[in-house]
Amino acid sequence: MATCTVSPLLAENVGAGCGENAYKCYQCKRCTSGCPVAIYADMHPAMIMRAVQLGQLDMVFDCKFIWLCTGCETCTTRCPQGIDIAAIMDELKIIARRDGHIPAGTPSAAMLKLNYDSFVRWGRMWEVELITRDVLKRPTSVKSWLSLGPKMMLKGKINPTLKRGNTLAMKRMVQTAERITSARMQQQAAEAAPAATHSADAGGES
Amino acid sequence: MSKTLAYYPGCSLHGTSAEFDASFRASARALDLTLLEIPGWDCCGNTAAHSINRLLATALPVNELAKVEQDMKLDAVAVPCAACYSRFKTGAHDVEDLETAADVTAVVGRAYGGGVAVQNLIDVYHDAVGLEELAAKVTRPFNGLKVACYYGCLLTRPPKVTLAEDPEYPTHMDDVVKAIGCEPVDWNYKTDCCGASLALTEQGIVDDLVTRILNDAKACGADAVAVACPLCQVNLDGRQTEILRKRSDWQTIPVIFLSQLVGRAVGVGDKELGLKKHLVDITAVMA
Repeated sequence: MATCTVSPLLAENVGAGCGENAYKCYQCKRCTSGCPVAIYADMHPAMIMRAVQLGQLDMVFDCKFIWLCTGCETCTTRCPQGIDIAAIMDELKIIARRDGHIPAGTPSAAMLKLNYDSFVRWGRMWEVELITRDVLKRPTSVKSWLSLGPKMMLKGKINPTLKRGNTLAMKRMVQTAERITSARMQQQAAEAAPAATHSADAGGES
Repeated sequence: MSKTLAYYPGCSLHGTSAEFDASFRASARALDLTLLEIPGWDCCGNTAAHSINRLLATALPVNELAKVEQDMKLDAVAVPCAACYSRFKTGAHDVEDLETAADVTAVVGRAYGGGVAVQNLIDVYHDAVGLEELAAKVTRPFNGLKVACYYGCLLTRPPKVTLAEDPEYPTHMDDVVKAIGCEPVDWNYKTDCCGASLALTEQGIVDDLVTRILNDAKACGADAVAVACPLCQVNLDGRQTEILRKRSDWQTIPVIFLSQLVGRAVGVGDKELGLKKHLVDITAVMA
């Protein structure tokens, strides 16, 4: 029997992170009609907004949608309520990663982390490293690489050499940003009402 | 009169899109623009930082802007990569909020005064050079080549950040190609997403998006698509070889950087333009 996990604090946490008020959404679905990936996913932007309002953790985090969002900003541009919906999708990705809500087999989530680690390590993103680590982690991806990779290499489109940025400055900025962010999180958790999350039997409705 | 701009190439222009870097630099030289690369620049955080650590995502571009303002003492930076441009504009926009600015200052190590204009590739030609000045420098005009100007997502969206006049139907790139003798076509997918951020993980979706965009460009009479983003270029150009494998009747269409079109028109040589770097041949339309 399916359970439905709700957290009345989801919309508040999203707001604390990105400054957007999800409750302003009145379901006109302009975000969804302009979304390039809505038709490929199990949820669409307006459904995510409703689920955030209702604190439906499972609906938000078990679906594919937030990880398919390309960040094209069409929803943000068209929302008649002026909600930065793309920023909310980003915040949901941040929360999912922090709280361990990334569904298994979500290549886009893994790719974002590889990308992040690459520029944190070298000061700049190193494409060759990204591809290599992706193939090591996800051997099935080698098929898509073999189709396009060699053609790009022949054209000299892939630069194998690493060019570093200012790695010391990068390291310092990453450490400070992560320290400030986790301090803010602790502050936010301390201010929130205790034991706000509970599980309820939803009789297969989730 | 020669103008000087700081220059932030970004990771793509040093990687898969070296021809974008080379053609941009060469076109700037021909247009009397001096580009000074920001010394020891770091990544702008790209698509990853803003979905992993919001504060870092704001601080990384602001750190580069502080260098331009306080170390290089310049008032404008050219950021030809549309993805980097978006991060720079968003960073500058977000530090207008005082609380965010205080956190960003702590991360960067100094305060950014807000004195740097961030210019994308189109802005450089349209505003820093100017359309009249550009037209006056054209030595090899195109003979009415029909071009679909593709802006993609981040050059105009979100308008609260980019301050684009018409985010759904922009025209500045159309003005630039007109100034060099091309004929911009009126088409429907100027600002639709090509899905480049999913290119490594969701190829099926990306092929659909690319097919739709390019089919419209062709249906509206374009002989080539002009782009101002390295991710759009790699995606719209590269995916066509895959689409061809699925659909043998696919008619390819060249996908050309705006800097290559402008460069050719102001007399930059073929080698610097990187004409041989594309998967769909562009030499015929650039001849």
